[in-house]
Amino acid sequence: MKTLRRLARDRALLAGVVIISLLVLAAIFATPLATFPSHVSSFDPSHRLAPPGGSFWLGTDRMGADIYSRLLFGARLTILISISATAIAVAIGVPLGLLAGYYDRWFSDALMRVSDVFLAVPQIVLAIAIAQTLGPAIQNVILALSATYWPFWARIVYAETRSLRNEVFIEAAVAMGASPLRVMVMHVLPSNASSIIVRTTIGMGGTILAAASLGFLGLGAPPPTPEWGRMIAESREFLPQAWWYATAPGIAILLVVMGFNLLGDGLRDAIDPRIRRGAGRG
Amino acid sequence: MRLIALALRRCLWMPPTLLGLTLIVFSVSHIIPADPARVLAGENAPIEQVEALRHRYGLDLPLPQQFLRYVSDVVHGSLGTSLYTQRPVIDDLLERLPATFELALYAIFLAILLGLPLGVVSALKRNSWLDHAVRLVTITGLAMAAFWLAILLQLLFSMEWNLTPVQGRIDGWGPDPITGFYTVDTLIRGDFPMFFSALRYLFLPMITLAIPATATIARFTRAGVLNVMNSNFVFYQAAMGLPRRVVIWKYILRSALIGTLTQIGLVFGNLLAGAVVVETVFSWPGLGTFAYNSILQSDYNAIMGFTLFTGSVFIGVNLLVDIAQAVLDPRGR
Amino acid sequence: MPQDTTPAIARRTLLAGSALLGMASPFHVARAAGRTRYITANNNPYDILDPHQVFDIGRIAIRLNMYDALVRWVDNPAKLDMWLAEKVDISADGLVYTFTLHPNVKFHDGSALTATDVVWSMERILAIKKGAYGLFSDVVKPGSTKALDATHVQFTLTKPFAVFMAVLSELWVVNSKVVKANEKNGDWGAEWLTRNEAGSGGYRLKRFDPAIGFQAERFPGHFKPFGPGAIDDADFRVSMETATRVLGMIKGEFQTTDGYMPAEQVERMKASGNVWFKEAESIRTFYFIMNHSKTPMNDVNLRRALCCMFDYDGFNNNILGGTVVRNPGIIPNPMWGAPKDLKGYSYDIDKAKWYLSQVKEKLRPLQIGAMAGYPQSEQGAQMLQAGAAKAGLEIKVVAEPYTTIAPKLDDPDRAHDLVPLWRSAYFADPHNWTGYLFNSKNFKAGNASFYKNARVDELTEQALVVTDQEKRRPLYEEVSRILVDEAAGLFVNNTKFYGPYAKSVKSVRFCPIGDTQDIRWIEMNA
Repeated sequence: MKTLRRLARDRALLAGVVIISLLVLAAIFATPLATFPSHVSSFDPSHRLAPPGGSFWLGTDRMGADIYSRLLFGARLTILISISATAIAVAIGVPLGLLAGYYDRWFSDALMRVSDVFLAVPQIVLAIAIAQTLGPAIQNVILALSATYWPFWARIVYAETRSLRNEVFIEAAVAMGASPLRVMVMHVLPSNASSIIVRTTIGMGGTILAAASLGFLGLGAPPPTPEWGRMIAESREFLPQAWWYATAPGIAILLVVMGFNLLGDGLRDAIDPRIRRGAGRG
Repeated sequence: MRLIALALRRCLWMPPTLLGLTLIVFSVSHIIPADPARVLAGENAPIEQVEALRHRYGLDLPLPQQFLRYVSDVVHGSLGTSLYTQRPVIDDLLERLPATFELALYAIFLAILLGLPLGVVSALKRNSWLDHAVRLVTITGLAMAAFWLAILLQLLFSMEWNLTPVQGRIDGWGPDPITGFYTVDTLIRGDFPMFFSALRYLFLPMITLAIPATATIARFTRAGVLNVMNSNFVFYQAAMGLPRRVVIWKYILRSALIGTLTQIGLVFGNLLAGAVVVETVFSWPGLGTFAYNSILQSDYNAIMGFTLFTGSVFIGVNLLVDIAQAVLDPRGR
Repeated sequence: MPQDTTPAIARRTLLAGSALLGMASPFHVARAAGRTRYITANNNPYDILDPHQVFDIGRIAIRLNMYDALVRWVDNPAKLDMWLAEKVDISADGLVYTFTLHPNVKFHDGSALTATDVVWSMERILAIKKGAYGLFSDVVKPGSTKALDATHVQFTLTKPFAVFMAVLSELWVVNSKVVKANEKNGDWGAEWLTRNEAGSGGYRLKRFDPAIGFQAERFPGHFKPFGPGAIDDADFRVSMETATRVLGMIKGEFQTTDGYMPAEQVERMKASGNVWFKEAESIRTFYFIMNHSKTPMNDVNLRRALCCMFDYDGFNNNILGGTVVRNPGIIPNPMWGAPKDLKGYSYDIDKAKWYLSQVKEKLRPLQIGAMAGYPQSEQGAQMLQAGAAKAGLEIKVVAEPYTTIAPKLDDPDRAHDLVPLWRSAYFADPHNWTGYLFNSKNFKAGNASFYKNARVDELTEQALVVTDQEKRRPLYEEVSRILVDEAAGLFVNNTKFYGPYAKSVKSVRFCPIGDTQDIRWIEMNA
């Protein structure tokens, strides 16, 4: 209860929650909210590149489709990509980190070296290479992102597990005869949960940015998918006249990523007792 | 002694890391359904022509053999020949390197110049309107898609206000390279019109890269300063009756700076990553556009060369940062 | 000029020959008094200078301006002029071509261009197997070309080939002595020529940087006289962004750029008052390749249905703003061999549904492989997708870079059902659009449709044996009609050229092969 009240007091966190909720609402109610729900795949060539106005609130694109409606449907895609990519990355990274951190065997070192390899180049470079290889499609974007982002979770969980291993409560559990699996899942993992949650929230923002970049470079979902990064890329040919074309999707990306970052920051402030103590004194 | 050991150990780990990287990128790039030989041969090319090209570049060998061949080439100091430009990949990379470095250095310099004071002020004036403003700016800066920011800047600065060029690196032809940095080379030659031209072209891509970097640095500096301010050590100093000014300048800033320094490695990595997208938007003739084009053309050797090269630079920078940190931070020693 | 001696730097100076010696920087060149300067902003990189390694329209300025061939395309409709050759004798069986070369042709290094150089250039194309190799490989065998003396060169073909003269426009003659001197491990000078030039053309290379483009100056020793007002210095720069090129035109930084811009950008340049336009109907057809090797695409009624699902008017006039004209068949309207009365398909969803009902094969969702990075290809794909949805047929679009699409075009199993792309003019002969694209002998070598029709095969082969244009015309016209009737492809439009020029440019000479990039014909105010 105390935690909840503290969370509510944090304005940044609140802003994050509001933005993410709006995104989710937009995604769920895209069809009723859209002024031209058919424009997710269809269009009207005679209204091509119309500026924002009465019937097209945010203008139209190069095919004559309503940008506002497409933005709403793009929200679905954004959520789909960020949730699945982070989920897969977490599903790979967390167990690996747990195992490597709990047991001090050869594969602990090996895992860290493998993650070194993945972290030796900027993530987006690897993601571009993988996405290009697999071909432009949503599932490939997800795959490329999760394949390059999992080491972050592996490293965090590894480090935390390492430091937890010699804690009294873990030793106690082991002494009481709990199986290693049980110790890891019932005791180590919950203690790691807060940092995993924080990392995942911020990671969602990161994957949205990366996915948009892939879309922008033409490696994302194919047309007519209303992918935000792709919409910005399409606009370039028509600048500066069609200024609205890139503006709306850009702001959408900005807000959503900001939302996840605020949420992550807020959660960390709320969860991490060290920072909380600091905040009390500030 | 510990320093040397650290450096040595890290250096020893570099070759296996790079080998692993080569393996990953090799696997990724060679499973591609694309066929560079086909593209090289061009439209209407008969199949025998494609086969001939495939054979010439060893693309018909089994994959493990191709990999071994590549690794042995790398060990002998060659990154192979670009399928597309027909030149040694290392030459292409070296030719593009100064452009990327010039841009990255200006961007980092600007980011430190802005980010450090912003972070310090924001921490010292905690919870003031200034602090909130800085936090808002940094949060926005970190959430902005680089390509969108780039287009926005082009739209305003180049197309609406006509202040800067949309893309490119200099008016017409660059100076014959001495350092490869246009802003330096033009000054050495005393060609001021070209120097200003280079600056004008540098402006937008530099800003685009610097904004997220500034945000990162400001954030970490703020957190670092707050951390030190809240530490018992500073309480102790204050309790000893040292004037606040002295405490701030002598203790807090020093520790905060060290904290920020460790982030330069991270920022540099982000810059390299950002470069791929930002250089593409600005047609900046650096490593980023080279990598992007190579990927689109399935130019295996060029892709692997770029990844290895970036990987080495990245690892090297992180190593330097670690060493610098160990030297500067008395506690770490 | 300081010349650094370390290899890494020397490689980066990128100077061709010694032309630039004594000039401090290109900026000073620009200010050199009394010389006219013509800057082209190109949307394709000039990354390889070798005229035998590339064979595309994007980089044609390199070949047209720095090299010469035996013959040359000029004007619209394109006609073939004698160029390095003064005269040709063709044997009665159409197998032996004997050319008499112009006697006073000099390469840029001052040495004479002789029959030996022509022979060596042909052998080089056949050996490195890149670029225009496919144009010759079928009829010219290595070692079969002979230099009879300094000014006579003889080609002996393996079979009659009516378009031989036409494709000779891509036999760019390189200076064999210079290139041989720069050979490395028997590479025919491939590495050297990618960054250097060894031609005889109207302009010679001054500077080259693959990231920027190239710079050339008029070659006063060229064997053909230049007109008054011919350009002195020419810059060909890479500028990928449409907005940059448009802005540069408006500000007068460039003298010309590509002539295939979106309608909005053409309007914007016109409104500035600083740009004039040359309009011409080009010969560059936009169509969808259909993969006939897969079911149900092998069903003629499905293909006809698809042809009725495409909103030609919406695409050509709304999306592309009328910068193209409807082209009912594969051969561009202005080209001979395109039947003037050819009636193509029109957008008619009811008719499409009727055709669909006649399809015997089992229907399945189709796939369009659009070319990523080419907006018109993607937009065309979306147009067809939307029309098909209205007729109740599902189509998926994937956008892939050309590098991924190209190899699939050779493989019937991996090929997409439909691929929207252009067929440009490499040489102005109907064969470029028919025989190459639809003769079943060219499976995996141009016929990406895997289309096979005995009559089309017969006609296109016959048309290569006959040399008289008037006898060949009806053959190609019949081919055109068959292709439309069988809906062998979905033929959309022919491109109009809107070439923007700065006011200082007085006149240009348009030719569909290379548009106006053959800059020796351009006249400019001093």
